[in-house]
Order: sequence, then C-alpha cells, then structure tokens
Amino acid sequence: MKTITDNMSITECINTSNYNEIKNDKSKHTFTAGTYQNGYNYKEYSGNYLRRNGKYLNGHTLTSSSDEEHLNYKLKRLNGTKALKKEKLVKESFEKPTLISTLLTSISFYILMFLGYISQALFPPKVATEHNRHGYPHLYDKFASFYSRYVYRRIRDCWNYPICSVPGAEVVLKERITPDNGWTFEFTGSQRKCINLGSYNYLGFAEKSGPCAELAIKTAHTYGLSTGATRQQYGTCEVHRELEKLTAEFLGVEDAITFGMGFATNSLNIPALLSPECLVISDERNHASLILGIRLSGATVRVFQHNDVKDLERVLKTAIYYGQPSEESNKHKPWRKICIFVEGIYSMEGSIAHLPQIIALKKKYKAFLYLDEAHSIGAIGKSGKGVVDYFGCDPKDIDVLMGTFTKSFGSAGGYIAGTKQFISYLRQKSYASKHACAMSPPVAAQIIAVLKILMGKDGTDLGKNRINALACNTQYFRRRLAQIGVITYGNQHSPVVPILVYLYSKIVYSVRTLIENNIATVGVGYPATPLLEARLRICLSAAHTKEQLDYALEIIEKVANDIGLKYSRLPKDPNPIQYETLELNH
Amino acid sequence: MLQELLKFINYWYFRYLLITELYMVEKWERVMIHIVLLIIFTIIGLFNWIVVLGAIGYFVGPVINDNIKRQVMYS
Repeated sequence: MKTITDNMSITECINTSNYNEIKNDKSKHTFTAGTYQNGYNYKEYSGNYLRRNGKYLNGHTLTSSSDEEHLNYKLKRLNGTKALKKEKLVKESFEKPTLISTLLTSISFYILMFLGYISQALFPPKVATEHNRHGYPHLYDKFASFYSRYVYRRIRDCWNYPICSVPGAEVVLKERITPDNGWTFEFTGSQRKCINLGSYNYLGFAEKSGPCAELAIKTAHTYGLSTGATRQQYGTCEVHRELEKLTAEFLGVEDAITFGMGFATNSLNIPALLSPECLVISDERNHASLILGIRLSGATVRVFQHNDVKDLERVLKTAIYYGQPSEESNKHKPWRKICIFVEGIYSMEGSIAHLPQIIALKKKYKAFLYLDEAHSIGAIGKSGKGVVDYFGCDPKDIDVLMGTFTKSFGSAGGYIAGTKQFISYLRQKSYASKHACAMSPPVAAQIIAVLKILMGKDGTDLGKNRINALACNTQYFRRRLAQIGVITYGNQHSPVVPILVYLYSKIVYSVRTLIENNIATVGVGYPATPLLEARLRICLSAAHTKEQLDYALEIIEKVANDIGLKYSRLPKDPNPIQYETLELNH
Repeated sequence: MLQELLKFINYWYFRYLLITELYMVEKWERVMIHIVLLIIFTIIGLFNWIVVLGAIGYFVGPVINDNIKRQVMYS
C-alpha cells in the first residue's frame, strides 16, 4: 500500500490505494483546532483521516458538525458585548399553515390546472403555434405558455396597473376593464387615488418637490438628461464622482462604483468576478438578477435553504470537501473562488439575512461574501445603512456590498462598494462600466441629495426622522397584523410584509377589494413564490401616516374576516398597540 | 329568517368558490366542476351505502335496520 507524502500531487493522493480506506473511516475522527500550512484555518484531525503530512484532499478538510460550539464562540468574540443582536433573529417567523389548508390548496390547484387544460383543448388560443418542425426541440416552453394563458390570464387585472402620479404615500391608478376574461383591457378613462402599499418607496423620497427634486432639476439644467457615453468614454461627470465618494462614505468603505440600472448591477458585474471554475453558494430565494448574473458567469452553483446558516455550512463543507465536479482527470480539483450570495432583505419573504453568522462562516471557510442590499439599504439600521448597520457588523468584512438606488432613494441605478483595489478592478473589467451608458446626471443628483439628508449633511435631522418613521410604521403595522391573526412572514423589523393567502382566488379577491377600498397592494404567486405559498405583499413607507395605516388595517381585517385569512395559531398580543410609544430597537 | 338563511348560504357558497379556485374561472367551467364534484361525491356515497355498509353487515349482522335504531332510542 502506498502512503501519501509531502511532495505528491492531489490526484496522486486520491489515486493512492489507502484513500478509500481513509474515506470509509470518517466516523472515527477526533480533532483539535489549529492553523494549517496551506493557509486554511481548519481543524487538525488526529487519527488516519485524509491528512498525510500536511496534505488534505484538494487542500481542504471536511469538518465535523460539532463545530457549532466553535462557531458560537467566534460569534461571541465578533459581537463582543452586543448580546442583544441574537434576540433580533428570534423575531423572525415562517409560520406553517395547518395540514388541512395545505391539502385544500393543493386540491384546488389541481382543479385549476384541470380546467386550464380542458379550456385550452376546447378553445385553442389564437396565437402563433409551431408546425412542421419534426426533429427540432420546441421553441416555446409549453408549460410556461399554458400557465400564463390559462392561469395568470384569468387574474391579470390585479397586476400591471398603469399609474398616473408620483408613487408616494398615495398613488393614482388608471382604471380599466376587461371584456373577455383578461385577454384584452380597455381604459375607462377614470382614475382612482389609493393609499400606496405596493411601491418600494421605503423612506418616502419618491417626491415631485422638495430639496432632492430641486437639485435634480438644477442638474438637468447643467448637464442635460443623458451623458451619451459610457463611463470609460465621455460619460463621467462631476456628479458621478461626487455620488461615488458619498456612497463610499455613507457605507463606511473605501470606494464605490455606480451604475445606471439596479438589475444590471447584479447581472453584469457578477460575470466580471467569477469564472467557470468558481463555486457560488446561493440562497434559494435570491433575486432573479443575482441568478442571471451567476448563470452568465458560468460558475457552479449550490443552493442552500432560505436563511438557514446550518444548511449553508453543510453545503460549504461538502463543496469544499469534494472539489470541482469536472471530468475524471480534473476531478476534486480545488475551487478557484468560493462566493456566498445573500440578500439583505428578501423582497418576497420579508426576512433579513443572518449576517453575523454568515460572516463568521465566510471567515472560517475563507469564502467571499456578496451581499445584495437592494431592499435593505436605507430601509433598516439605526442610520439607514442597511443590514450591516442593523447587526452592527463591520462593512469591511463583506467583500462585495451591492445595493440599488431604486428603492429607498427614490431614484434609479445601483452601486457596488468595497476596497479601492476591488473597485478599480471593476471599473476596468465590468461590462456595465465598459458598455453601458453612464447614469443620468439628474438621477445621480437625486441620490446625492438623499444621501446628504440621510447623513445629516444638510444640517437637519430630516433623514433620521424618516428612518425612525419607517421603523415605527413597520413595528406598528406588523404587530397590528399579528393581532388580526393573519400569517406574516419575515423579520419584525423588515418593512416588506408578506401576508400569506395561499390561494389564487384569495389573492384576486383581496387585491380587487382593497383597490375598491382605495388601497393599492401587490399580490404575488407562482413563479415568484413557491407554488402553494401565494401572498399579498405590502411595502411600508416612511411617508405613510398613522391614519392611513389604520384605515388600511381596518380594511385588511374586514377582508381577512370575509375570506378566512386568519390562519395564524400564534398567541395574540391582547393589549392595544400605541403608535406613539413604540420602542424602536432597530 | 329566509333572508338570513339565504345570506348564510350565499356566504358559504362564496367561500366554497374561493377554496376550490372556482371564483376566478368562467361560468361554464364552474358548472362543470360542480357537476364533476357532485358525481364524485354521489359515487362515494353510493359506494359507502351499498358496498361498505353491506360488507360490515355481512360480518356483524344488519347495521342500519334495527341495532342502531335501538341504540339511539335507549341511549
């Protein structure tokens, strides 16, 4: 039997006959902590477990699941005295419905599918069909077109509402009717003013007047509306430089780069960071832009369960242990990079990433961390700096801080922040920097004005007030909903509030009824959510007043009574909730 | 009285439409599913009445006729 020596390559190590024997002997190991010569801080295993004179299989080891104590210890050290941070995680809830309601939801879904197929067979849609393409694969996805024509089409009136005003605390909808069950729509010419519970206007900066709008108008008079070139050509104005400097200062990192579109910030920058030999570990509820970017990069993807740090560690461990799944000669080669992709606030779940644990894991396994703060920047944290601020983490621990200006900032575009070296690399290599037109100057000016207000550079505490108002509205709304007895998902402090309704008909009835009562909300169903977890999603804003929220809650309670949305079996708070005396421990 | 009964029936018919997703489909589809469900439940009922009760009766003697009536009366 050959033994593994120091100067053998990894493939040789694997081919050595005693590898299998060692592999089968996993259960016998014991370990002590230590730093290893290959640069990885791993546990040293005593016993004959995969290690021979400093060589691990592909340079890594599979650590034991009892590492949790070690992780907790590290966490305590990371957080220092901030013991209350752990408490915040406890307030997250994903209550399951009763078995009977899950069963009824499944049965009703089958009825819907059955009716859809019968309807399609009896009345084939007047659309382009594929003929005489024997031997070719189908051009259209059959199920996708069936689903959009015979399920989504029936309830299409609840989505794609055109609006005719600024989407502030209130929004004006353009009314329309459908004469043929959703195939076509006609405008009635009337308008309806609704309380806006659907826009991502967290801090209420979507305004048509005020200091931000004024600065934007002034910049439009100076620079016009478009730069007409990419950042690498004649596209960089003074406003862009100022915006990037301010963004970096706001986030507490060295440098930042901005782009004209939030979605493209993700999907066009990830390919510049990753190559096919890299590993991506992605949360199962990550946004489409992240998924698109990861797919474009060609990296291998492993998915972990939503917000489950234990599962993340399991996936990391297994992936590191087995290495790349390429062809036989290359098998078990170490990954070039390992990158964890998480979001700050998940837009469909309303949950907040467990950042301190994820940072501890990232440090332990020497992985990179890509944090998408699209919804969380501005929306949570004491000074509105997103999830990093909320947990009191160090922004320098996160390798890639990404966010958008579309939501809390009432503008458009996105940013990526990090070290100076990293941002300089992106400036040269990113597709969005090379080939996309630079951000429109008035749009950048709006963001600059908002950033200045949030950082208190305008000499007022308007920014602070807005952040507090949002935190207050969120607490009040979420706690009142819990009293009503509907199931809401996510973290107590997240301004995205999904109310579970489970059935498509219930989405339709509630969205229609709420609009009739002048409240605009968004219904979400498959494919944006899992099949049996359709929901109503409410986005709160600092611009909402207590009276507006009270009115909305009253109507929601009425709807919940009418159609049976009170699925929650959690104990209810019997005391009335006072808006004025809410404790804001955000 | 009649009004209230109608209201009650209407409300639970509406809840039935919601729970079976029939609320969002066209009228002819609704009617079809009503008929299908009616047929299914009738067949199940008939099956229970004839086959299941018959089988039980085969083992324990007549179930419906005398025993149950007597038990109900004396209890």
